[in-house]
Amino acid sequence: MEEEIQTQEDPKYGIGDYMPSAGIVGVIFSLITFAIGLFFGYQQINAEPTGSFFSPFMISSGVICLISALAGLLAVWHFSKEVSPKIKLGQGAVLGFLTGAIIAILSVVFSELWVMLFDPEYTDKILSSLIANIEEMEMPSAQKNEMIDAMAESVSSDQSVLRQLFMGIPITGLINLITALIGVKIFAEKPEEKF
Amino acid sequence: MTNRKLYFILLVAFSGMVFLSLGGGVWGAGQSINHWTGVLFQSVCHQDPTRSLYLYGAPMAVNSRCFGIFAGILIGWLIIPLLSAINFKNKLGLVVLLFAVMLQILDYSGNLMGYWENTNFSRVLLGGFLGVAVSLSLSDFFYNHNQT
Repeated sequence: MEEEIQTQEDPKYGIGDYMPSAGIVGVIFSLITFAIGLFFGYQQINAEPTGSFFSPFMISSGVICLISALAGLLAVWHFSKEVSPKIKLGQGAVLGFLTGAIIAILSVVFSELWVMLFDPEYTDKILSSLIANIEEMEMPSAQKNEMIDAMAESVSSDQSVLRQLFMGIPITGLINLITALIGVKIFAEKPEEKF
Repeated sequence: MTNRKLYFILLVAFSGMVFLSLGGGVWGAGQSINHWTGVLFQSVCHQDPTRSLYLYGAPMAVNSRCFGIFAGILIGWLIIPLLSAINFKNKLGLVVLLFAVMLQILDYSGNLMGYWENTNFSRVLLGGFLGVAVSLSLSDFFYNHNQT
């Protein structure tokens, strides 16, 4: 009986309990950020190189980062509505990290699918456009050339997809973990004050 | 202090994040783009070297604003035990966080529309403010016994 009360007051969740919220929010945010990335990507391809920092591709990076960071917060909101309003800080952290990991993986998968199925030259066109823009930038030519070489190498590398897939997880996961903690603060049920 | 284990796990994670964001220069590379440190951050930052700080001759793995945010999160995280010690009541944490987010958007938009030109220093400073605000908005989880 005592154990039962303890369980009700202090619920324990497994990965299976987190997955619906992390999955739904992760899929939605991956699709949104993928669509935004694609929109700005084609804007970049069709833009004249100006050497300005504010190229469509650079703007999309800021917008995508800002939007995808909110996923952790919304995953906690979804969890608090659909599973349980009682969510502890550590549980919110796990949920946020999982959501970020799903976004990191699906973003790469969607991009690769787009390239494979619809526009095989998309990556090359983006790269050409970015290099043309860098060439117009005001910076030392040695630095410029090194940067262009590094970009070209990163795209041509056979391992780049796998690297993106697994190396995108820790930081995207950590950022969503932080916003999930904020989500716990906002959406989780507060324990009653004891006097 | 409550949630001590999570506090220390995240302290290690945030320290690692700040260290790795220093980029390829620390590891003897001339660039951070395509260096493994750069790949770690490429999904969250545009990594434009013209808007990044340089370390050992190489741009950091993140731009100056992102570096400010990460460093600010770590600094704020380190302050939390001190706040716990003085039993500080952080009632305006989320309001300050919202204000810090608005400041970033305002600064970015003003620069984009040509009203002013921000610098690496101003971006680090504003980013740092946001980072500290993020950590401090969570501070009462670690010493207020009314929250778990």
